[in-house]
Amino acid sequence: MLKNIIARTPIRRSFSALSSLKQIPSDGDKGSTQNLKYEPLSEAQEAYLDRVVRVDQAGELGADYIYAGQYFVLANKYPHLKPVLQHMWDQEIHHHNTFNTLQLKNRVRPSLITPLWKLGAFAMGAGTAIISPQAAMACTEAVETVIGGHYNEQLRCLTNQYELEKPDSSFGIPAEIKDLTSTIRQFRDDELEHLNTAIEYDSKKAVPYMLLTEGIKGICKVAIWTAERV
Amino acid sequence: MISKRLIAGSRIFARGYRPAGFEYINPINSRGPLKYGKDSPQYKVLSHTLAKSVPMYGFNERAIVNSLNELGYPSTMLSVIGSSNGPSFFHSSPALMELLKFHLVDKRLNLTENISLETPVDQLPSLEHLVIKRLEMNVPVAKHLSQLLSQLSIPGPFLVDYSMPELHRLSDDMIYFSTEKDHNDFAWYSKRLAVSCAYVSSELFMAQDRSPDYKETFEFAREKLHRVSTLGEYYNNTEEFAWYTLLSTINLVKSQLARG
Repeated sequence: MLKNIIARTPIRRSFSALSSLKQIPSDGDKGSTQNLKYEPLSEAQEAYLDRVVRVDQAGELGADYIYAGQYFVLANKYPHLKPVLQHMWDQEIHHHNTFNTLQLKNRVRPSLITPLWKLGAFAMGAGTAIISPQAAMACTEAVETVIGGHYNEQLRCLTNQYELEKPDSSFGIPAEIKDLTSTIRQFRDDELEHLNTAIEYDSKKAVPYMLLTEGIKGICKVAIWTAERV
Repeated sequence: MISKRLIAGSRIFARGYRPAGFEYINPINSRGPLKYGKDSPQYKVLSHTLAKSVPMYGFNERAIVNSLNELGYPSTMLSVIGSSNGPSFFHSSPALMELLKFHLVDKRLNLTENISLETPVDQLPSLEHLVIKRLEMNVPVAKHLSQLLSQLSIPGPFLVDYSMPELHRLSDDMIYFSTEKDHNDFAWYSKRLAVSCAYVSSELFMAQDRSPDYKETFEFAREKLHRVSTLGEYYNNTEEFAWYTLLSTINLVKSQLARG
């Protein structure tokens, strides 16, 4: 309603010679501030992005291999789990590929102990799956909890710390950072969806539940700490 | 102090995130360890030294002083040039260290200066081309290469902070700006290490080379790179075969178990 009224009120008339002064600088001008480049990232900001890409790549590689391990053990024994695992695994492969391209594009070095991550992740997936399908789901639950929290931490930092200044002293977030943020946000949602799936498929009924989940959470935190640095 | 050095040592591979260039103003200093731009007096003096004086006098202070005289700077500029390096007991004078650093960094940057980041992959030069091009940049100073290499390999802070990191940055640049396939896992490290080794051994060869136009050096470098890539192929084939054998063994066991 209100909108209509405002739209209908006549524009105040003035001398036509002055009208050019009143024009609000629109599209053309806006375009030029948008085209202005940002001040370069600080060393600390670059170092943080370096870490983010490396640790996320290593993490998604881990997730990829955990599901591979689970799928390897469970797919034929429990056919009802096959499509569920396949779906989650496919998503993790997509995440892994995304971070692989980011790593190459931004020339970030991969984690030095990548072979260890591969082996460890596959062993973790296959090992918990051998105990029982519920244990495998408990493993998924623990891993996705830690990863979800870790992604949230990164998002907090990426949205807070990357307001860069332009020469006309306006602030903004570079498209590159925005893309990274939206990618991570999307992936975090996917991971939390996996967490729900795991709980739906009886992760809480795994037998040494506390031991499994807390142990795996601990391992994941240590792995994250290491992958950021080495 | 020692622990700081050790950490620095572990950073031979350290190299930060490279942001998308088009979104940011170029930082004032985008020339790596060189703290001055191309229009600074330091740059003028050092590039003149490398081009004109080093072929005559070799890598020593006399070369820098000669260039200072020719360009009309007072010889006290020598201390300005070396100001970013601390004095060292076992290494050469700060100004000379700066010259060595300049040789490494400036030639590395010149190598890929004309390759834009947006170049499509199929138009990039090959790795071999870049290695040869970098070796060709050494031709004017080739007579004094053994002097240079021995200076660069004196154990100490300079080796850890500049010589080694610059070598690995060079091989990283050469792989990134060439058609060479890059990797997401441990192969990232092994490929860079292999290229670095091939490059350094070609430089060592060049220091001893007496053939006309250093023909043998370039042949040696090509041969060396070829051997590195064959070695990579051997490894990949072995890995693929091992993986295939593992999977087929597992499937065999599974099928036998299923039969009961």
